[in-house]
Amino acid sequence: MKTNYRIRKVVIASNNYIYTLGIKTILSVIGIKPELFDVESIDELKELLKEQALPLFLILNEDILNNNVEQTISEIKKISPDCPLILLKNSQTSIKANIKCINHNENQSEILKKLTNFFKEKNQKDSKKNQPILSDREKDVLKEVALGLANKEIADKLFISINTVITHRKNITEKLGIKTIAGLTVYAMLNNYIDPEKGNL
Amino acid sequence: MKKKLLFNPKSRLADIIHLDYRLIPVIGRFGIEFGFGNKTIKEVCNNKGINVWFALEIINSYHDSNYFPKKSLQNFPAKLIIEYLSSTHNYYLKVKIPEIQEYIDKMEQNVKPENHKNITLLNGFFNEYKEELRLHLENEDQHVFPYILDIDNAMIRGEIDDELYKKILTDSIENYERSHDDAEVKLNDLKNLIIKFLPPVLCKELCQNLLIEIFRLEADIKNHTNIEDKVLIPKVKLMEKKLLEIRENKL
Repeated sequence: MKTNYRIRKVVIASNNYIYTLGIKTILSVIGIKPELFDVESIDELKELLKEQALPLFLILNEDILNNNVEQTISEIKKISPDCPLILLKNSQTSIKANIKCINHNENQSEILKKLTNFFKEKNQKDSKKNQPILSDREKDVLKEVALGLANKEIADKLFISINTVITHRKNITEKLGIKTIAGLTVYAMLNNYIDPEKGNL
Repeated sequence: MKKKLLFNPKSRLADIIHLDYRLIPVIGRFGIEFGFGNKTIKEVCNNKGINVWFALEIINSYHDSNYFPKKSLQNFPAKLIIEYLSSTHNYYLKVKIPEIQEYIDKMEQNVKPENHKNITLLNGFFNEYKEELRLHLENEDQHVFPYILDIDNAMIRGEIDDELYKKILTDSIENYERSHDDAEVKLNDLKNLIIKFLPPVLCKELCQNLLIEIFRLEADIKNHTNIEDKVLIPKVKLMEKKLLEIRENKL
């Protein structure tokens, strides 16, 4: 996949030099050319997260998590909720929180697969983020327009003023290049914003 | 914008088509058929009994959208303008719309199942447009144009009967002008739905042809609407005013 060669910022947090070096090697194997940050303690990591512009890909080894794995991870998530995170851990450590993990004893192909997916998933989110046609609020307004509501009704339903509704509608039409209500309805259905069955109710 | 060369009565009809193939349907509307050799437009029109100056004005205004001879077109009899407009109505309803419909139908048959729903949506949208266009054109053919012809006849006779007088007072061309909504807006939406938002379809060629035909229809309707709004309606307004004057002078 072409996009895998994009440069991204990766943090490898581990006290263990062999792990750090190993991760770097694996990254080059799966075609990631990272801008790397090595950190050796959890405090160092937190500092870095506060300074760096997002997004950082975090690869954490269990050894820097101060024995209290779950709590430390939730602290990290609090600082930077958008950073994708993967944890390298001993297979005996069990984790309740829903995070990606690689066990130390996993074999080559499993590890490669997990790391590749780790970078790929974020990538898809990225590309979506880069071209949002409508904002969430505009989508809300569009749905109501498509269902045939008048401006006043939309304003009441979404707790905004009529002028705001009009502004949203103007922006929607400009962005989409679609002026008629029928056209907007088709657009909303193409994108599954509204269900044609429900729309008729 | 570069000014386009305008055609004159001595232009060869074949050259005109070579220069601007979009004029093919326009020429067809005048009842001219191919096989005219090297004849000029004047010769062809004379043979067919067509008013060559009128045909030229239409051809030139279509050829160059910056050239729009409102004044000189207004000098032609309303009957001539209406005949032309009626023949374009026929062309839309009997030729162009079915053609576009056929492309959409074919696409509907040839898309992947996951895209079927989307083409069906487009089809529904186009059907709505079709119905609106049909109603609009029918209203013109059955009500607006006959009214204009009545006015034209009254002008020729130089007198106006009570019925027409009432009609001018209560339901003049201004009413029609106000309700003359833009038929192209929906077509433009359809274009954007296809260009910007339709997920890729298997039948690329069909989709491309569909789009091209929509563009052509749109351009044609635009020219048509121009003639109605900028030539026919002002002309009728003028005639209405004159007829009312005639009536008042008589009383």
